[in-house]
Amino acid sequence: MGAMPSKILFAAVTILILTSHLLCAQDSTATLSGTVTDSLGKALPNVQVSVKNVATGHISETQSDADGHYRVENLPAGEYELSTSAEGVGSATAKVVMAAGAPLILTLTLGQGQPPAGSLQNGPAPGTTQPSLEDLGFSKAETQANAQQQALLDRRTRLLKIHQRMGLITTIPMIASVVTSFGAGGKNESSSSRDLHVALGAVTGDLYGITAFYAFRAPRIKGTQKKGPIRFHEAMAWIHGPGMIMTPILGAIAFSQKNNGEKVHGIAQAHAPVAIVTAGAFGAALLAVSVKF
Amino acid sequence: MTSYEVMAKGMSSQALIAFVLWSVSFAFASDHTWVLKESTLTYHVSHPLHQTDGVSHAARGKGMCHEGQCDFLIAVPVKSFDSGDTNRDLHMIQVTRGAEFPMVTVRTRLPEAVSGSSSIKADLEIQFAGQTAHFQQVPFEVTTLGNNKTISGTIPATLADFKIDPPSLLTMPVKNDIPIKVELTWSPQ
Repeated sequence: MGAMPSKILFAAVTILILTSHLLCAQDSTATLSGTVTDSLGKALPNVQVSVKNVATGHISETQSDADGHYRVENLPAGEYELSTSAEGVGSATAKVVMAAGAPLILTLTLGQGQPPAGSLQNGPAPGTTQPSLEDLGFSKAETQANAQQQALLDRRTRLLKIHQRMGLITTIPMIASVVTSFGAGGKNESSSSRDLHVALGAVTGDLYGITAFYAFRAPRIKGTQKKGPIRFHEAMAWIHGPGMIMTPILGAIAFSQKNNGEKVHGIAQAHAPVAIVTAGAFGAALLAVSVKF
Repeated sequence: MTSYEVMAKGMSSQALIAFVLWSVSFAFASDHTWVLKESTLTYHVSHPLHQTDGVSHAARGKGMCHEGQCDFLIAVPVKSFDSGDTNRDLHMIQVTRGAEFPMVTVRTRLPEAVSGSSSIKADLEIQFAGQTAHFQQVPFEVTTLGNNKTISGTIPATLADFKIDPPSLLTMPVKNDIPIKVELTWSPQ
């Protein structure tokens, strides 16, 4: 007699335990609801909303009511594609994952693509059981869009592209200046060779100035620690920069001496070595960011 | 033995059985989670003059298992990729609109049963540069070490998948293919 209540109790507990998760799982469907709005947030009535089960292809349809609300009940758990459109307003699509027993509220904004994913860029659809960026512990600063920073990067790239192109163009008269230098100095008395060399040198100097201008104008990005070939590229500027100032000054002195029928002498003798070092540093700077050694 | 003793003995063995049944029931019905412990993501860019690899170890991830299915989310900040050159990395962030869309996210759903396999094929949804691209049946190797599972493979991504204009150097654009090598070590939570 004494064992009977315990047996009944045991059976009851066992049944309760075994069926508890089944009871919980009984609600294997979920309800999707929300509002259809235009891009200004105004509710749109009488708009058809299609909800397609990705796995089965089954489509459920409903229409927004006078307040723009829509509701689709008894959706089995799974992935769904929502689509809606209204003539003259636009369309909207969204992907959601419905979990059993978890109602999902989703605003469909016409005139846009997929609705914004919560408050985070690239975030998951709100209300799903999938992990979210918040679950991963990223800070808001890490996940939030920064349009100002993007604009700064865009400007930087635009200016550095011009810097790069101008640098490449500058190499043409620079090489030509080096080539024509052989006929401009030494015992050569031809003034036409000298004039050509001077003209090419002037063009090189101008183009170099423009190249440098775009490098200086490119905005610096705060918080970036420079490393890699760009450091060598910038270090070379400390050589070719002063060199590009010294070379024409020394060249002008040498030019004047030659025009006076004198042999190039004094500080003007440094024109050729300074020019060669300058051109070499410029070439090395260009190669450092162009070719991987 | 009194009736109380009989009842107590019966109750203890029955309680034990009930607990076992409850545990089994719980094991099948409960949710559990995988957490990304270590990660190496490497993108490769080809240029006629350069072969560049950008590496990030900053990915975070979580997998939530429910009713035999596991939903995984892996996210990595765009700016965390390091190619060894600051200028190139800043340019990469610019062309991929990394300040506007600072995170790369990868989502996939896998049946819980595949956790014992040595290879898996996953359908991936990747959000990057403001675009969403889907990659079907990407093969991955799975190696198990203790409780940890390391998943490695290559995602055959292209710039066109994310509507990114190929950046150019010396007027020559990089190749469209940017395969992403993935090595992720997961641990149950």
